[in-house]
Amino acid sequence: MPNEVNLDHRFGSFFNYCDLFNFILSADSPVSLELPDVWLWELVDEFVYQFQSFSQYRARVQKMSEEEIKKVNANTKVWNILCVLNVLHSLVDKSNIKRQLEVYTSGGDPDSVAGEFGRHSLYKMLGYYSLVGLLRLHSLLGDYYQAIKVLENIEIHKKYSHVPACLISTSYYVGFAYMMMRRYSDAIRTFSSILLYIQRTKQLFQSRSYQNVQINKQTEQMYHLLAICLVLHPQCIDDSIQAALRERNYHEKMYKMQYGDEEEFEACFTFACPKFLSPTPPSTDNAREDYHKEAVQHQTQVFMAEVYQQKTLPTIRSYLKLYTTLPLAKLAMFMSQNHTDGKLEDKIEVLRKHLLCFKHKMKNIVWTKGTSGLDGSFQSGSELDFYIDHNMIHIADTKVASRHGDFFIRKIIKFEDLNRKLHAIKI
Amino acid sequence: MFTKFFDSRYNPDNLSTLQRYVEVQSLENAYDLEANLAVLKLYQFSQKYNMDITCQILLKALTNFPHTDFILCKCLLNQALCEQEPIKKIISLADLLESCDFEKFWIEVNSMPELFKRITGFHDSIRKFVCHVVGITFQSIHRSLLNQLLGRVDEQTLKHWVQKYGWKEEANDMIFIANQDENIKTKNITEKIDFESVAAIMAACR
Repeated sequence: MPNEVNLDHRFGSFFNYCDLFNFILSADSPVSLELPDVWLWELVDEFVYQFQSFSQYRARVQKMSEEEIKKVNANTKVWNILCVLNVLHSLVDKSNIKRQLEVYTSGGDPDSVAGEFGRHSLYKMLGYYSLVGLLRLHSLLGDYYQAIKVLENIEIHKKYSHVPACLISTSYYVGFAYMMMRRYSDAIRTFSSILLYIQRTKQLFQSRSYQNVQINKQTEQMYHLLAICLVLHPQCIDDSIQAALRERNYHEKMYKMQYGDEEEFEACFTFACPKFLSPTPPSTDNAREDYHKEAVQHQTQVFMAEVYQQKTLPTIRSYLKLYTTLPLAKLAMFMSQNHTDGKLEDKIEVLRKHLLCFKHKMKNIVWTKGTSGLDGSFQSGSELDFYIDHNMIHIADTKVASRHGDFFIRKIIKFEDLNRKLHAIKI
Repeated sequence: MFTKFFDSRYNPDNLSTLQRYVEVQSLENAYDLEANLAVLKLYQFSQKYNMDITCQILLKALTNFPHTDFILCKCLLNQALCEQEPIKKIISLADLLESCDFEKFWIEVNSMPELFKRITGFHDSIRKFVCHVVGITFQSIHRSLLNQLLGRVDEQTLKHWVQKYGWKEEANDMIFIANQDENIKTKNITEKIDFESVAAIMAACR
């Protein structure tokens, strides 16, 4: 009965959460409860999910009965955004998790700064998962800056928490925020690394539990986002991820996007983006019919503006790939094959604009070191680069020699295994 | 109900202070993205956007190109707002900058000087971005082209920018930017397998 959630359930769940969090947070001394990490993660993640779900329900005023509207208006504090933020921030503060992570990443003992509550794994992990909850919540509101900032001192690759769903969800939102900030290298690194992890631990997510349905969906979304990033910012990625993109038939989508198919871009984006929310519910008397779609539409529009600005870049890239030097005039001719009239001067002018745009869009902040994911320096991480010397374009490409190491390692292991089995055979 | 504290970031009482801070930034050519995003977030929560302050924040974000601050700000607005003037106008200006269509950008800017009057140092901030793009793109550039990208400045000003970035004026009205071939060259990625990584696997195979 998945669709049978009614308003009473939503309200009841909210009050249950309030009771639980009040109990944990207003205790004078740490509550002596030991719960498995997975439970604590799901507790916090579900809290944010239910807020999201309530906001979506609340945004569709037309579908609500009169009685429901009355009840919602009488309880505006229930599942209120400030209240949800309040809970997550309180859990973060109570556990001193930020300070703990700071000490942990610099090699110290987190217990030395954890305080009375933060030393308890219950508080510590609730604090940690609340940071991830905040990442998700900020992302849903389109605040990518705070989303990344809240994770300061968490190095997602260092794996402070071992709950797979938490790792995967963290990488999804971090990667997405990076993509929106045009930090493609960082987004690609984040997605590739988590997709590799998922590839290696696949068997964990085989059973059809509700968590795995979510994980598999998020995996699919991340492949979409990775495909988008690779179209906008071609760069070398791990062979096995490249192979996975091929197996899953992403190449057709990527091909379409490279050729400027805006619908394909939009389709991939809307499939893969988080379910954005408007933080405040519409008024119940004159809500527009598509209010619940507005937040998604707005973020899509922001993204599509970026795509549109970059529209000519793939074509330019495909020509540049064929040369090491190329006169501006010649490329300008290539680029205007469909409309041969017009002065060459004007064509060069237009091309020059696109080339400047190419350089600008391909030079982005890339994280190199430091505890904040917002830090970084400007780099050109894409595989093709060029410069203009007066009227001549000089092109630098990246050539990748084929790799053999992995192949041999696999064969050696296979051979070892075979050998062992042969030895074990008794005739 | 859940009571307790409020993170000061979401406290609407701070809004007036933060808004004043935005005006100070415009006036004194200072910049604080995080504070400005906090203002937009408060607007987002109350759904009451102060048009004047919102515009100043967006214009300030333009001055911080090539950083993507403008996108971050835009994501905290909503669709209806983006259709309203002068926000719509500012978004189209950002579009021109993102597309490096500087020629058109300067024409637009010069056609509505009152919009930028309050943003101290607006034009020069944009020129900084132009120089950034020129600096990463060209090895040498024709003087008149550079001037066109900078928005047709006078001789003195052009010299100032060339000097500021350490570029050199050469014969035939060319300006030498930098030796790009030192940074931009074809990369060959080959696989390097060191002894240590082979040692581990070979030790395991016996």
